[in-house]
Amino acid sequence: MFVSDEDLMMKCGKGDIGAFELLVRRYQNPLINYIHRSIDDYHRSEDLSQETFLRVFKSANRYEPTASFRSWLYTIATNLCRNEIRNRSRRNTCSLEGLVEEGEDVHHTEIMRDTRYLPDILLEKKEQRQMIRKALAQLPENQRVALTLVTYQDLRYEEVAEILGCSVGAVKALIHRARQKMKKLLIKAGIGEERVNEKI
Amino acid sequence: MKKYRQTESPDIYSSECEALLVSPDELSAYIDKELPVWKRHLIRRHLKKCEICADRVQRLQQTDSFLRHAGAVDVSDDFLSGVMARASEAALHQRQHDSLRSHVARFVETSLGWTRHLSTLMGSLRYNIRTRSPVYIFILTFAVFTMVGVTLYPPSGDKLLEESHGLELNAEKLISFEVIQPEPPKRLLTTYLQGE
Repeated sequence: MFVSDEDLMMKCGKGDIGAFELLVRRYQNPLINYIHRSIDDYHRSEDLSQETFLRVFKSANRYEPTASFRSWLYTIATNLCRNEIRNRSRRNTCSLEGLVEEGEDVHHTEIMRDTRYLPDILLEKKEQRQMIRKALAQLPENQRVALTLVTYQDLRYEEVAEILGCSVGAVKALIHRARQKMKKLLIKAGIGEERVNEKI
Repeated sequence: MKKYRQTESPDIYSSECEALLVSPDELSAYIDKELPVWKRHLIRRHLKKCEICADRVQRLQQTDSFLRHAGAVDVSDDFLSGVMARASEAALHQRQHDSLRSHVARFVETSLGWTRHLSTLMGSLRYNIRTRSPVYIFILTFAVFTMVGVTLYPPSGDKLLEESHGLELNAEKLISFEVIQPEPPKRLLTTYLQGE
């Protein structure tokens, strides 16, 4: 029987730690990926994901199911990401992850294990991933958040509007602008143009 | 198939596209399935006729598919255990905090209870004094006399204190007696009588 996130949160608010564990299991993968796409640092994204879940747990007794749990969770995560980016820009630091990935892919071990992938295809995929990540990082913050939430987390426009605190119309415009910009950036990086032309 | 007027820049819509889509953002909303059914149907029909919009949608879908292939990271094995450990710790801390808070709340409640009782008592006393109720005037008088009596004649506890310092007190009395009772100046009187 499927129990909704909101019901699990209500149980969690009453001190049911099992319900909380189920929520963590349900959202650990999408959340860590969302944060990783926002801040581009695997270890920090794990820390921030933990922090997000902990905040959810601490405020479980005050939770009221007026909004969807998903949008609440991503609002917390988005705020944490914003703080992280702000702190980084103050300290003027950058992630070392990109440097690590130049030599070795430490997190995508599932691809490394799969012998179907030839080294050159693997390298091409890795380069492509890096370029897409770089292009994403070049987007303005709100556009990046909106696009990431819609594309990777499959959130509805209403939920994104709740997270960003704007109207659904504004989210539509943000996503369209983000896609347009991404298209240009990817073409500039040499990804997509030929393939689009091939299709045309 | 009917062809629509091609514009120089693909970002500029023809007036018919503009009328149908209202704004270019609608195409993104269309590929995200965020439009109402009737509008989606209209756009689908339009895309069959308009090459510009069809190309635009295709490019947007292409970008979207590239983004989706950006790869995902795996969660480490100890992530869940880490979160649960921190949550248990937080729950324990919360319980301790709640217990302390309940103690403080109980103390405040008790104090407030006593204050309330005292104020009720004082209020009734004030009322009875104002109305000159004989019982309360008697009690008040009795209380005043008791306080004065206790002040003037301290209770037996003070007597014990006196007994413990008995010797010192007796010595003081002896000294006072000597000072108060000097010997009569007999010699001076006789000298005076002899001289006379």
